[in-house]
Amino acid sequence: MSDRNAELGSLPPLLRVESVSKAFGGIQALHEVSFEVAPGTIHAVIGPNGAGKTTLFNIITGAYPPDEGGVVYAQQEVRGRKVHELVSLGIARTFQNVELFGNMSVLENVLVGQHVRTRCGFLGAIVRGPWVRREERQMREYSMELLEFVGLDGVADHRSSDLPFGWQRFLEIARALATRPHLLLLDEPASGLNAVETHRLGELLEEIRKRGVTLVLVEHDMSLTMGISDRILVLHQGKKLAEGTPREIQANEAVISAYLGKE
Amino acid sequence: MRNILFAVAILLAGLGISSPYHFQLLTFIGIHTLLALGLNMLMGYAGQISLGHAAFYGIGAYTTAILTAHFNWSPWLALPAALFLAVLIAFLVALPMLKLSGYYLGMGTLGFGMITYVLIREWSGFTGGDSGLVGIPPLEIGPVSLSSGRACFYVVWGTVVLGFIVCERLVNSRVGRALRAIHDSEQAACAMGINTAQLKISVFMLSAFLAALAGFLYAHLVSFISPNTFDFLTSIRIVTMVVIGGMASIWGSLLGATLITLLPEWLHIFSDYEMVVYGLVLMVIMIFLPQGLTRGLLDIYERSKRRAGVPSTTAKG
Ligand SMILES: Nc1ncnc2c1ncn2[C@@H]1O[C@H](COP(=O)(O)OP(=O)(O)OP(=O)(O)O)[C@@H](O)[C@H]1O
Ligand SMILES: [Mg+2]
Repeated sequence: MSDRNAELGSLPPLLRVESVSKAFGGIQALHEVSFEVAPGTIHAVIGPNGAGKTTLFNIITGAYPPDEGGVVYAQQEVRGRKVHELVSLGIARTFQNVELFGNMSVLENVLVGQHVRTRCGFLGAIVRGPWVRREERQMREYSMELLEFVGLDGVADHRSSDLPFGWQRFLEIARALATRPHLLLLDEPASGLNAVETHRLGELLEEIRKRGVTLVLVEHDMSLTMGISDRILVLHQGKKLAEGTPREIQANEAVISAYLGKE
Repeated sequence: MRNILFAVAILLAGLGISSPYHFQLLTFIGIHTLLALGLNMLMGYAGQISLGHAAFYGIGAYTTAILTAHFNWSPWLALPAALFLAVLIAFLVALPMLKLSGYYLGMGTLGFGMITYVLIREWSGFTGGDSGLVGIPPLEIGPVSLSSGRACFYVVWGTVVLGFIVCERLVNSRVGRALRAIHDSEQAACAMGINTAQLKISVFMLSAFLAALAGFLYAHLVSFISPNTFDFLTSIRIVTMVVIGGMASIWGSLLGATLITLLPEWLHIFSDYEMVVYGLVLMVIMIFLPQGLTRGLLDIYERSKRRAGVPSTTAKG
């Protein structure tokens, strides 16, 4: 993995978080956090509960503005951009607590994922001309490809809320991929998965990276994180505690004491 | 396919019926169906509520009434004017409110409905105030006047069929899926790149369009309108139709409109307690069949049928 780091080190970072701070009332959720993500890598963010990991994701995706600091994505300052604009620029995410469209089918969930990559509006839908039908057909084909990719093509017509929890996580990944992201943020994708599913997830993330998507994941499962990440950022009480390769993080005194002190 | 059957049924019903009373009743059911359909798109698919929908119904009716009765416009010219005005006002009403999430639209439309009602009553130079506005001409196609009960019936139900086709196509399109997505999880819908504020405004405009269309038809079919038709009670009636028929159910709009039009006809004791009855109906449905009659009953049926098809707990792969 270190050879890929060296090779990619020369490219400009796809994402640069610059000294971001965010407070909620009296709670300093993030304090001057900076880090960079090189394109084509898997970057993990770890830290104990309440460390600010999800808040960091919410800021990168534009759900909250940072109090201070900035986010540079693909060489553009994106601070203050709306969530939907950032999705069309190529930033996609999944949620810690799985946020599917529960009343919609598995297939429809993935179709919604293609929203920003398709055009049909009110008039198009009412007239339903040839280009609209073509677009719809292409959307369905691509959605089925993605469902096959995550292993859910067999349940495309099921209501998404009827799926077992683990499958819902995979569906959420397929739906995020449908936005055709360059940068995919996954918030605890392995939580709630059994051992078999977690192993499958690891393989899937590797495959997604091979397709050219840069990944940032928040994850508590250490064997998964250490196994697939190129770099790891450790947050602790809103501050950056350490950053480095998995090997460096495992040997880091501050990280060890923070984690051991916690337990 | 269902729409073709529906159209055929309407055609046959129009031929089979002869009583003017029945024609009138069915025509009102059709107008109410349009109202419910529009609100259903907003409530059922975008998850927003309008407590002042009668205002758009009134704007449609009074715009065409004033233009045709006072200014001698042809109804066919007044139609786009009425629709445009309603949609424009809907845009202006929704713009500040839908940017904020939550129930602002409900509160805002409540106030908007009341203001519109007062304006209609007080602006008596144009609207005739409480005594109403008379002399609205019937619709005409060339030399044919559409004033008979049967003609009215066909005009209204023809519009309903069109409305159903349009809404069905919308619901099953990229836009409709985005709407349903907002309803299920606004947060996730945003994360899929859906501009939720813009989409909600668009649906609100669509629902105002359908309400104004209903108002246009109503004005020309009855030739006399007065403010009471467009009061708060009417707004509540439309909400009740949607809730009874089932939110997010196009055909439920038909069912809800039918029940709410027929019930007061059958139960005359109703009249004084209409609000109370609607309140009770809304509560009971919300508690026991939150999906409405159509979906609620279908769901119960499906749940009892299924049970075997649920997948096991490990992902394949
Ligand atoms: N919308 C919000 N309003 C108020 N406080 C918030 C909000 N979001 C996060 N916080 C607070 O900010 C801190 C960091 O929360 P965050 O969710 O980012 O942590 P996390 O690292 O994702 O934790 P976990 O592992 O439990 O998911 C917590 O103290 C949390 O209570
Ligand atoms: Mg979190």
